[in-house]
Amino acid sequence: MDTLLSGQLLFAALVSGSLYALVALGLNLVYGTLRLLNIAHGDLVMIGAYTAFWMFSLFAVPPLVSLVLAAALCALLGWAVYAGLFRRMLAKPDLAKRVEANSLILFYGISVILQNLTALAFSSTSRGYQYLDTVITWQGISMTGNRLLSLGVAATICFGTLLFLRFHLFGWGLRAVIERREAAQVVGVNLNRVQLLTICGGFAVAGMAGVLVSMTEQITPFMGFPFTIVAFVVIIIGGLGNIGAGILAGFCLGLVETFGIALTSPGYRSILIYGLFVGVLMVRPEGIFTKAVRS
Amino acid sequence: MRLGSALWIALAGFGAAVPFFGSTYLMGVVFQVAMWIALAQSWSMLSATTGYLSLGHAVFYGVGAYVCVLLTGIIPFEFAILAAAGSAALFAALIGLPVLRVRGPYFVILTYGLSELVRHVVMRIESALGSFGRMIFDVPAQEVLLWWMVGLAVLATLGAYAIRHSRFGAGLAAIREDEVAAQTIGVPVTRLKLLAFIASAAIPGAVGGLALLRTSYFEPAQAFDPVISFTIVTMALVGGTDSVRGPILGAMGFALLSELLWSTLPQLYMIVLGLTLIVFVLFVPRGLSGLVGRIGGAR
Amino acid sequence: MKGPTRLAFAALGAVMGLMAGAAVAQDPVTIGYSIARTGIYAAAAPSQENSYKLWQTQVNAEGGLLLPGGERRPVEFVSYDDQSNPANTVRIYEKLITQDKVDLLAAPWGTPMHLALAPVLQRFKMPMVGNTAASVQLRTVAPGYIWFPTSAIPDAMGAELAKMMKANGVTSAALLANELPYSQEFRSFLIPALEEAGIEVKVDESYPPDIKDMTSMLVQVRDAAPDAVVAMTYPADAFLFAGQAKELGLKAPFVLSLIGPTIDAYRKANGTAVNGIVSSAHWSAQADKWPKGRPFFDAYVSAFGEEPDALDSALSYMSMEILQQAVAKAGLDPEALREAIATGSFDTINGEVRFEGVQNVVTPTGFVQIQDGKIELVWPESVKTADYAPKQGW
Repeated sequence: MDTLLSGQLLFAALVSGSLYALVALGLNLVYGTLRLLNIAHGDLVMIGAYTAFWMFSLFAVPPLVSLVLAAALCALLGWAVYAGLFRRMLAKPDLAKRVEANSLILFYGISVILQNLTALAFSSTSRGYQYLDTVITWQGISMTGNRLLSLGVAATICFGTLLFLRFHLFGWGLRAVIERREAAQVVGVNLNRVQLLTICGGFAVAGMAGVLVSMTEQITPFMGFPFTIVAFVVIIIGGLGNIGAGILAGFCLGLVETFGIALTSPGYRSILIYGLFVGVLMVRPEGIFTKAVRS
Repeated sequence: MRLGSALWIALAGFGAAVPFFGSTYLMGVVFQVAMWIALAQSWSMLSATTGYLSLGHAVFYGVGAYVCVLLTGIIPFEFAILAAAGSAALFAALIGLPVLRVRGPYFVILTYGLSELVRHVVMRIESALGSFGRMIFDVPAQEVLLWWMVGLAVLATLGAYAIRHSRFGAGLAAIREDEVAAQTIGVPVTRLKLLAFIASAAIPGAVGGLALLRTSYFEPAQAFDPVISFTIVTMALVGGTDSVRGPILGAMGFALLSELLWSTLPQLYMIVLGLTLIVFVLFVPRGLSGLVGRIGGAR
Repeated sequence: MKGPTRLAFAALGAVMGLMAGAAVAQDPVTIGYSIARTGIYAAAAPSQENSYKLWQTQVNAEGGLLLPGGERRPVEFVSYDDQSNPANTVRIYEKLITQDKVDLLAAPWGTPMHLALAPVLQRFKMPMVGNTAASVQLRTVAPGYIWFPTSAIPDAMGAELAKMMKANGVTSAALLANELPYSQEFRSFLIPALEEAGIEVKVDESYPPDIKDMTSMLVQVRDAAPDAVVAMTYPADAFLFAGQAKELGLKAPFVLSLIGPTIDAYRKANGTAVNGIVSSAHWSAQADKWPKGRPFFDAYVSAFGEEPDALDSALSYMSMEILQQAVAKAGLDPEALREAIATGSFDTINGEVRFEGVQNVVTPTGFVQIQDGKIELVWPESVKTADYAPKQGW
């Protein structure tokens, strides 16, 4: 019981929760505005991780700087994917009609290409680098420097995005597109521009999450898929397309995972997470944190 | 159409006759192609007809494999395969009602999540039982497995054909077009969806059992591999979902592509595969089946 | 035909004959294998394939693979991606044997692949020296065309580890095990062995392979304060374990992480924190009694820019050495080769190897420890390269 109340578990929950929230944020932006099932999302995390690894190993560039680079690289990829594939797809009515099936296959193709290009370029040997792993103790809670940094950066990006969407005009346009797509166009929101910027933004966020992940995990070309899954779990719990609730759900998942393991046994970790996921989908597919608005 | 049917019968006959003249390698290829035809065709019984896109068919394959490994050695393998099909169907019947209430993108993600959930539950059971991967001895001869698999491919194709050309199929099509409207005019949507779900689960269960006998080793992480689900969906969609020949063409197309690339561009194989998928979605929306139809129609 | 012309033709003929002869002598020996370039095992496979490639380069630099008559032929590989799927592995080896008609076979990566292959090899009567597979189930494979040079088989390891822990004064232990087969199998043999050695098991937890946070489990371990922590990890969770055990400052002097620590990236990512971690392997480059080990290590580092994995890379290289020595004795005929492998004794980077049934009966089951970033063999006494030293903090 003491362990449950100690800050150690809370810290662990916040670190993983913030990362889940960040990874899911990117996916939620892309789903919310474009209705695309981006199953290549985790591969962007992988690209961010490789960016940080190579910059650190070759040029001793710290991950905080790589954050910008990874974001730019993934945003560029987002632009290429949107301009090259999805604008074309969404413009054809017969393709746009089956957007789930088509986006699923398109992104599966992209995922396969990204993973294998990376494996071809860098081999699939696992990589890792040592950065900021001194342990700080505060109020009896031990925290590794890189995990604390990861928590700080992830939380900042999440809440920064939230504030931006709430107060900047672009954010209004974006929310309008998410909630009332046709109406938004009528009132003069430039749909094309909003979609392009969101996909770039969503990809960039995933890349930045990858940089944070690279500080503590092994890096391989095939590391991305679990992140895709976690992101889907989070945005389902929060509600597809609901940005704020998604962030909240990310943190909740971190809490459920850490304290759930503490209360039961680590063996139930994945059953717990997938059980929650399946349960929410069956009972309340619009998400726990969303007021039910059925069209 | 009559020419088409003759062609398919010849194809199935060729598959079944391969052990008498073909090399072991050709038998391996035919087994693989028949397996994917059976899986993609079964998938299409639910997903192509109703538009409910399942991304979790690996769960039926895995349940079948698991049941089969538990039963081999206890009962003859033919019965183990039937039991595998039966348990997959039973599993679909049990989860069908709550799962099929969920629509659109939610259904896609739910089926995927369900497959992962079952995978982890089976892993947990296996580790609690103190089992660490199970080996099977005394597997049936390769040609026997091949005949079974070709039989399943034929069965799945006939089943898919029968569904599409029946009142049942018409009801499913109505669900795809507009579920609410279908319900209003008196189509028993819930019952039809459930039946289609069960139908599409049975054969993958048997396929899982057969595939297991071929590799003679069971490990939950592999039996429920999500790549199986993804491959089924891509094959069916690339083949085309408008007709029964779609999944067959998709499975054969992929097999051909992989044989071709494997030996020529082993490093680039997966990359070319990814590119193929993109090209198909954007430029060949009706799949190989549509392509073949167009060529046929122009003549 | 005039004289000079005839002479010219004769000369040409002779040259062509020579060239043809040379071409026959240079006709390569083909070795086929499948490898997981994609899928769940892809990250593990390079440590194996790199060893194959290094061996190929070395053999070809010597003029080729030596055959019984003293003839040397260059080695060529034929390989396919099995996408980490045993069904593909089976198909690929059938293709290698019947379509590509390769002369020899090398092993794929992983226990499931090896087990799935055993019946195929039996059916075609093609011998293959395995490498990266370890399970008690290997012993249930009918002896014949497959052999396993590893000595890291869970039952022997459980017994040896309990002995090693007892010898080093461990009285209590915490066990954490990944749910994947190898670690579960190890756990099932370790628990009775610990009991017999009088070592108390204070914590015994299993966790799923996709675990992302171990804090609550490790807090439990920290509070139980055992003398030993035995983490039965796979590579991905080995990274997680090291980072979080450091964060929580686990004090146990004996810390084992099953698979992972021998990977180069593991030491790069964790630096000095993982000094003192014990892991499973039966080879070290530091061993003077195995003179071939050091040159292999150096050649590997210079070829690939990273250290060989003391487990997989070493085993893979050993399997090729065994094949090479068997071919030198028996040639390429599968039956003769099978006989040579089954009855011969081989000199490898890991010392002598000899098979009884499917198993290597010479190499002792051992454990290594990271000491100053190097992999030292610390158990058993007979082959150790350094003394075991209790872990001094993280």
